[in-house]
Amino acid sequence: MAKAKANVELCKGCRLCVENCPRKAIIPLETVNKKGYEIIEINEDLCIGCGICYKVCPDYVFTVE
Amino acid sequence: MPVYRKPESIINTAGYCGGCGHGVIQRLIAECIEELGLQDHVIACVDIACAFWSQDALNFEFIAGPHGRCASVATGIKKVRPDATVYVHAGDGCSYVIGLDETAYAAVRDVPITMIVVNNGIFGMTGGQMNLATTLVGDKTLSSKAGRNAETMGKPVDMLKALSAFDVEFLARGALYDPKHIDQTKNFIKKGFENQRDVKGFSLIEVLSPCPTNWKLSPVDAMAKIKNENEKVFPVGVYVDRGGAK
Repeated sequence: MAKAKANVELCKGCRLCVENCPRKAIIPLETVNKKGYEIIEINEDLCIGCGICYKVCPDYVFTVE
Repeated sequence: MPVYRKPESIINTAGYCGGCGHGVIQRLIAECIEELGLQDHVIACVDIACAFWSQDALNFEFIAGPHGRCASVATGIKKVRPDATVYVHAGDGCSYVIGLDETAYAAVRDVPITMIVVNNGIFGMTGGQMNLATTLVGDKTLSSKAGRNAETMGKPVDMLKALSAFDVEFLARGALYDPKHIDQTKNFIKKGFENQRDVKGFSLIEVLSPCPTNWKLSPVDAMAKIKNENEKVFPVGVYVDRGGAK
């Protein structure tokens, strides 16, 4: 089954994916990446691979395959 | 299951702020061009504003003309390279305020280009000044500190209604505040490129996009503002669909 994968180094901490995920599978973290933005984490058990995070992300963090 | 992967035409990151709608629009453009198989001969025209960053990110040929003159530059490119796919990625300040005459005359000439206008209700890159055509009444900006006053500063204008007075091929407005509207916007942009491929006429797609940095809201609140306030003034949908030259 398809799952979302995140390249968190591209993340800019906007939290649009957290807001839009229908299964609340994306968890906002306080950890920062190299650019200094607060990143996210995917709970793979909850992810259904719907691709909504890919659609709303302005920075191409997500790949669903 | 469908696979979602970043389009191959996007080769680099762009310097947009977190939560900016330009990144999504840039991806929709790249996806539409790749799905139509036009990526080998694309000349894009960007504005000297936030859309300028897409030069870094996309693997197309680019021209950035003087600020606000995108429609004229694209008209010129299309005249000398009629087989190329020419698109404009510009903001509302460029297309509706500083370059309104260029946009209007491109529409009058009915040049077969695709124009994507990002309506974020503000002059984004210069620091957030009021935009006469798209800032809502009551919005606080750098040049309207107490909020836009309709008596002294006028009211926002629905430019798609103004442009629909001309004989153009396709005018539509999309939004980016939820996945459903992002898909709808993608269909509009794809239709714009199909019209150009079939040499039908001038297509303009306006996209309601957030500018969290200059609106001084979080990206999630900025999307809610578009849904609750901007969409009431600028309704989403197709305004003109001529269906081929008369």
